Amino acid sequence: MPVNLSVKWLESGKFLTRLGLDMSFAKILPLIFTCLFVPATLAESFTFTAIPDENESQLKTRFNKVAKYLEAELGVEVNYVPVKSYAAAVTAFRNNQVQLAWFGGLSGVQARRLVPGSQAIAQGYEDQYFKSFFIANASTPLEPSTNFPNLNGYTFTFGSKGSTSGRLMPQFYIERNMGKQVKDIFTRIGFSGDHSRTIAQVEAGAYQVGAVNYKVWETAVANGTVDTSKVKVIWETPAYPDYQWTVRADADQRFGKGFTEKLTKVLLEMKDPDLLASFPRQSFVEADNADYEPIESVATAIGLLD
Amino acid sequence: MFNFVGPWQRLTLGLWLLVGISLLFVDIDIISLDPWGELLRMGQGLLTPDFFATESLANALWQTVSFALLGVTFGLLLGSPLALVYRSPWVAASCAMVRGIHEIFWALLFLQVFGLSPVTGVLAIALPYGATFARVFHDILQQAPSSTKETLPIGCDRLSAYFYGKLGHVLPLMLAYVRYRFECALRSSAVLGFIGMPTLGFYLETAFRQGKYHEGAALLILFVVLIGTIPLWSRRRLLPLYLLAALFTLPKLTGVDLQLVWQFLTFDILPPGIREVIHGQQGLEQGLTRFASWWQRLTLEQALPGAAASLVLAVSALGLTHLLALLGHRFASMHSRGKFSMPLGQLLLLIMRSMPEYILAFIFMMLCGPSMLPAILALGLHNGALIAYLLTRQDSLVRPSEQYQRRGDHYGFEVLPRIYPNLMSLLFYRFEVILRETAIFGVLGVMTLGFYVDSAFSEIRYNNAFYLLIVTALLNVLVDSLARRMLAKRLNQGMAVGQVSCVV
Repeated sequence: MPVNLSVKWLESGKFLTRLGLDMSFAKILPLIFTCLFVPATLAESFTFTAIPDENESQLKTRFNKVAKYLEAELGVEVNYVPVKSYAAAVTAFRNNQVQLAWFGGLSGVQARRLVPGSQAIAQGYEDQYFKSFFIANASTPLEPSTNFPNLNGYTFTFGSKGSTSGRLMPQFYIERNMGKQVKDIFTRIGFSGDHSRTIAQVEAGAYQVGAVNYKVWETAVANGTVDTSKVKVIWETPAYPDYQWTVRADADQRFGKGFTEKLTKVLLEMKDPDLLASFPRQSFVEADNADYEPIESVATAIGLLD
Repeated sequence: MFNFVGPWQRLTLGLWLLVGISLLFVDIDIISLDPWGELLRMGQGLLTPDFFATESLANALWQTVSFALLGVTFGLLLGSPLALVYRSPWVAASCAMVRGIHEIFWALLFLQVFGLSPVTGVLAIALPYGATFARVFHDILQQAPSSTKETLPIGCDRLSAYFYGKLGHVLPLMLAYVRYRFECALRSSAVLGFIGMPTLGFYLETAFRQGKYHEGAALLILFVVLIGTIPLWSRRRLLPLYLLAALFTLPKLTGVDLQLVWQFLTFDILPPGIREVIHGQQGLEQGLTRFASWWQRLTLEQALPGAAASLVLAVSALGLTHLLALLGHRFASMHSRGKFSMPLGQLLLLIMRSMPEYILAFIFMMLCGPSMLPAILALGLHNGALIAYLLTRQDSLVRPSEQYQRRGDHYGFEVLPRIYPNLMSLLFYRFEVILRETAIFGVLGVMTLGFYVDSAFSEIRYNNAFYLLIVTALLNVLVDSLARRMLAKRLNQGMAVGQVSCVV
């Protein structure tokens, strides 16, 4: 059945009658069933999600402050939904459960492909020239260099599978510099799931080499949570664009004309260091979809996007 | 010639032959050079747990209970009627497929449809649990003696006959099983936090992943206490109250965009090629070629290697589980320890079986590196402890002779033979569970089928995920039917259901 036809069938109400029939069987719990099929348009509050690239503790407490700021500036009710992964953030964005999201480079591209017309409106100051560090255990002969290291035969761990700085860009530079696919280079490939995990595992020697978000590394060094006599930075990637705020295409339609523009302005004007520390970024600057074309072509090149 | 080797010895030998074969292929390198720094941080965390580091902790605890409660309730609503028609091979097969997919993957699927809503979490528990209830209740009902029915007065209506003649016999068994599944549901509910449900797992996973061990240890302690105190707070009379409270305190439900659901079902999860043909965007021949190349690549590069790795991991873990269950029972049984020193063994078993395998694997990963070893150890410890615990509950029925002494030889001749059939049937039943649990280790990075499913979800390739999930489910159906057939030969009717006879 073609999509159009079936959507019409859904809207015609036959579907609901049928559902209604089913409901009478579940008399004991009509509550759940009715709630299940409440139309999406009932919730008219503006909802956003964000996963910071480091320190995910106390998410709700921290980002509810951001929500409060946005609420005061925008004049609509603003909510924050915590998520666990980039993929979950993309799903929530696509399902219209959130209208605004703080995405990584790759997840932003994925989300904008799934929701045509959605826009990247602002990025962190640091995200204009983000980079990844390659780190190696001290037991390896690898030394810091500006030339790409010869990684043949080592074990290697990425960060999370959907991470731009922990997976996408490192894999791209490895494959471009070594001229073959990662599975033909390393004896073992892992996905640690998190930048701080990557550091811990390379420090412990569970993997010999790893790729990590440069900011997470610098924080770990500053806090003393990494023993730099056991693990060191051996190479850094060229700069690339990373985290950004992306808003859905239909935001203006739902929250009034000029909403997106106003939202952009409010985000760029967020100056409170306490709020910015949650991301953590020093400030936000303008961005648009075109800024992320390099990310899209890199993702296509290594087969993460079709 | 081998007449002195009894059926149980043969079954055990067969099991270990299988384990031996899988050990040939298993990847159990110990790699970690210097895990002590991280282990020290973990140890410090465990010694000084921080119970105030987690936001909305009380809510997370309650939601863990609430999701489990609702999941089991809906599972019962679904499973009980299905149990009556379970004889149909179609029902049995579809239930086995539903069971074969881990809760976490059900949740990831429902996430696409219902979003981050409690419906996602409750359904992710209810569906596989319902399928399990269907099978186990069917098995239990079969155990009911048929003689009572014949003594009922003539003209007795079918419903009364059913209630008095059949259900009455086995109801205590069924209730005991439900109680046991509730404990499992608490664990599942916590694990669903890993993908975003507001349960304990949400914070537990973050804390361990980001190295916040003080917080992680506190959450882990709370979780073990929650499971250990089930008999204290889960009174039958309070259950309706809890259920109502669970319904009313559910997190906000989100709306469902039916158009997106439709698109998900009729486009997103269909294989490339096929979906273009259905929607008229591509010719039949072209579409089929595209589909064939997609299918071939996915099968050869992901499905087959993933299935092989899952099997090797599960069989190796089964061997370890067998050993640890024997050891654990020897250590915690009242027939080898006496009533007074038994509690120590019981406490150890409680800690081991309530610890989510994920956390265990995580700690072992630090100790011995990213091979299959951490996963095998975690699965073996968890399931071994669980089986040992169930066996110690069976102990009260075992009455050794007057001459019995708490010594190895007496134990070996009097207690072990009585629990061994139960141990083996539990073990074979747990194999299905172990195989399903390999999914979790896929998410952690061991290259099982779960790894590829997780990758497909994070690359937003739902059709790949869907295909791999079907393979996972089929593998489970196959293994389950083989295990049941092997066991059925050796067990009489009453024992064939394994997991049931031991929860009482």
